[in-house]
Amino acid sequence: MPITKHRSRTLRKVYVKTPGGRTTTHFRKRKPASAKCSKCGAVLKGVPRERPYKMMTMAKTMKRPERPYGGVLCSRCMRVAIKEKARA
Amino acid sequence: MLNQIGRICVKIAGRDAGKKCVIVDVLENNLVLIDGQTRRRKCNIMHLEPLNEMIELDKGASHEEVVKEFKKLGVEVKETKKKASADKPAKTRDVKAAQKTEAKKEKKKPSKDNTKKKKTK
Repeated sequence: MPITKHRSRTLRKVYVKTPGGRTTTHFRKRKPASAKCSKCGAVLKGVPRERPYKMMTMAKTMKRPERPYGGVLCSRCMRVAIKEKARA
Repeated sequence: MLNQIGRICVKIAGRDAGKKCVIVDVLENNLVLIDGQTRRRKCNIMHLEPLNEMIELDKGASHEEVVKEFKKLGVEVKETKKKASADKPAKTRDVKAAQKTEAKKEKKKPSKDNTKKKKTK
């Protein structure tokens, strides 16, 4: 039986293989929800799902795609938006 | 014809998305050469949104000509300054410093010899 604080599911389990060959369970904090497109709600690709302290250490180019509306809209919605803008 | 030479388009994919460009050359079935606010590059037709405007351009017109025509339309093109390639740092021998180090070496050597000689004596 794990110790009382590990019985709740506030922490996620990570199985780690030790150098001795055993597999042990480590308890880590849960990751935040993945980034979603603000228009269609699809999961955004190229946006990492990490805790804020890790996001702070990452470079800006690693955190979202390098295009207009990158990290906000998915590529499909961005294309539609730009087309509408061009036609108007 | 939508994909004619001289047709102004808006790029809708990639990091140049939302920027205006002109078709400079038609390469293959779906490929065209574009230039303007974007980089001069090959581009799939599916990644372009053609506009009503047209420009009179020769096939394979240079970037400068495209910029000129864009200025007439009132579309600004950001000019990227090319960095002048710096010369390699030439190896210059510091004569004075070299002389000093040599002098030091010469001073040290005889002193060691002297000590040895003294011991031997």
